[in-house]
Amino acid sequence: MANFNIDSKKARTYDAIVIGSGISGGWSAKELTEKGLKTLVLERGRDVQHIKDYPTTNMMPWEFEHRERLPREVVEANPIASRCYNFKESSAHFFAKDNEHPYVQEKPFDWIRGYQVGGKSLLWARQTQRWSKYDFEGPARDKFAVEWPIGYDDIAPWYSYVEKFAGITGNKDGLDTLPDGEFLAPHDLNCVEKYFKEQVSKQFKDRHIIIGRAAHITDPQQIHLDQGRAKCQHRVMCERGCPFGGYFSSNSSTIPWAMKTGNMTLRPHSVVHSIIYDDKKKKASGVRVIDATTKQMIEFYADIIFVNAAALNSNLILLNSISSRFPDGLGNDSGVLGKYVAFHNYRASVSGEYEGFLDSTTDGKRPNSGYIPRFRNVYKQETDFLRGYAAGFGANRMTYSDRNGIGESLKAGLLETKYGNWSVGSHMMGETIPKESNYVALDKNLKDPFGMSQLKISVGYDDNDEKMIKDYVEQISEMFTSAGFKNVKAHDGNRNPGNDIHEMGGVRMGKDPKTSLLNEWNQLHACKNVFVTDGACMTSTSTQNPSLTYMALSARAADYAVKQLKAKNL
Amino acid sequence: MERRVALKSMAVAMGAMAGLPAWASGWNKSSLKVGILLSADQSAVLKGVVEAIIPKTDTPGAGELGVGDFVQKMVKDCYDKKSQDILAKGLETLNTQSMKDFNKAFTDINRAQQTQLLTAMEKSGDADQKAFFGTVKNLTIQGYMSSEYVMTNITHYEMIPARYHGCVPVKQ
Repeated sequence: MANFNIDSKKARTYDAIVIGSGISGGWSAKELTEKGLKTLVLERGRDVQHIKDYPTTNMMPWEFEHRERLPREVVEANPIASRCYNFKESSAHFFAKDNEHPYVQEKPFDWIRGYQVGGKSLLWARQTQRWSKYDFEGPARDKFAVEWPIGYDDIAPWYSYVEKFAGITGNKDGLDTLPDGEFLAPHDLNCVEKYFKEQVSKQFKDRHIIIGRAAHITDPQQIHLDQGRAKCQHRVMCERGCPFGGYFSSNSSTIPWAMKTGNMTLRPHSVVHSIIYDDKKKKASGVRVIDATTKQMIEFYADIIFVNAAALNSNLILLNSISSRFPDGLGNDSGVLGKYVAFHNYRASVSGEYEGFLDSTTDGKRPNSGYIPRFRNVYKQETDFLRGYAAGFGANRMTYSDRNGIGESLKAGLLETKYGNWSVGSHMMGETIPKESNYVALDKNLKDPFGMSQLKISVGYDDNDEKMIKDYVEQISEMFTSAGFKNVKAHDGNRNPGNDIHEMGGVRMGKDPKTSLLNEWNQLHACKNVFVTDGACMTSTSTQNPSLTYMALSARAADYAVKQLKAKNL
Repeated sequence: MERRVALKSMAVAMGAMAGLPAWASGWNKSSLKVGILLSADQSAVLKGVVEAIIPKTDTPGAGELGVGDFVQKMVKDCYDKKSQDILAKGLETLNTQSMKDFNKAFTDINRAQQTQLLTAMEKSGDADQKAFFGTVKNLTIQGYMSSEYVMTNITHYEMIPARYHGCVPVKQ
């Protein structure tokens, strides 16, 4: 390594290294620095500082010269990112460009990436539902993947811990299938959503419509003010970065908090190549980084390493960490590294109209929506497919204007808003079953611009997913029809896996080192000073938006790691 | 003459710059295809077309609000070559038809005559003419409704609602 011009080895040595600054890396950084560890946070992309680096955040609609549509050349150069609902003129600068970051799709897979400080925490949908015990017990009960090494009781206090800091709006619904958390004031359900809630609870057993739990500050507490964050102002332009810090992101919350401790060194433009394994000490000693600006390889050293590169990139780093002890990737004695990748099935949606409440509408905007917790196969197996789905649900009063003709009549028509029926809509969020055949691996031939092997992704739907889509459409259509909704239509968007941006697994947690990579503390069974606490660690996916669980697992693992470090066990 | 050439190439260079907004850091501006889509004459006809679609009343029309430039920009940057050709050809057709029917350029005939020509295109059996009318009308509506003037003075856009009420009476 040509490190002669870089600082001495000592200057490149820290107590801890965190790989990645997104939603889980931000939490690892916050926890480790707060507990006094000198921590190096490596981010492969550029720095994005809260407010200062949100160039579009205060732009008016007419200031976007294509009114949020992206130029054709951009769309054509980025076919994958372009399929993401959030890729638009005001937010495109927070997406990795397809052509700069190639990967191999053995099967179609939309890999959506945010390569900057904060990662995809700037772009996320901010839904934060807890897992229940039924979710953690899934693989054991239904005999797929491997048993989770933790249960709800292990993570519940950590859910509370991260919820209080992040700021989560929600209603205490008292459902055992979707446990309540530390909630700030809930958003309103609107009249039609409330009506649907009542109809469903009357007509269907164990089915509930609730307002989503979301990472928005509706009622700022001292801990939020201490972060410099304020009440959410309902702009619903979150993907631009929020000048109020109204929603949770690493940029508005954990990263500046970690910085304030004085213990964090944040190094952007640092592409992690691999983790260094020390054969003598029988543990990891540091990481190799390619400086994205100079393309030079630099080594950094630390006692503990947290891998938070985002699910598939964490797989890539471990697969690329080859040593004589681990010829098939760090910690990969079991051979399951990169395998059992899963995601959320978002393919189907159902829409309809309601002709009631025509004297009513909504006022303002809501950065949240209704939510239908999983009701299929929760307490026992009851269908011809495994597991189930949660669903989003929302209603909106439709408005329209008369667009007929041209001239003065058209102008008058456009400026007179008329009210139509209420539109209602739902989309599915289905659990997919992790399988050995859904995997990622290093491509043997193709390299990325940094000279690293490209990631080969082979992840697809299966028969269980198809049956689940059918059931979702039938059940939601029936619920809609029973509530008197008209014009009920189902739609299969045929979206590729990955477009849900909930890819998980490949470095799964488990009890047995022979069939899993990580133990109950997110610690590599075979290399105890390496922790993986992003989506890669997930043994199964359940149906909830996963970020809250990554946050809780990161904080929990960091707490454990520091205790073990202090006890000189690492 | 030389000065005019210099100004023209400056305009082309500015056009290149306009491919993507400056804040979109990281996007490769130089990779974008550039050039002005329409001639000055065609641009003038387009301005007349958008004004005929949404005319000045007691409030400004689409022409005055710069919607013609918006339509051109959208078609140039976001639409395919075929749509770009249809736009240019449609504007030429309007002018040719205007000379034929009224012996004047499209920009010099009165509103009723402009409307007559546009309506003929809307109802034309020629797919390209129909497409021209549809694209220009839709983009004119989009550009007008999302203009600063309309959103500020007429539809009263709220950047920061700071509220959500789920059930309020419809204002009569």
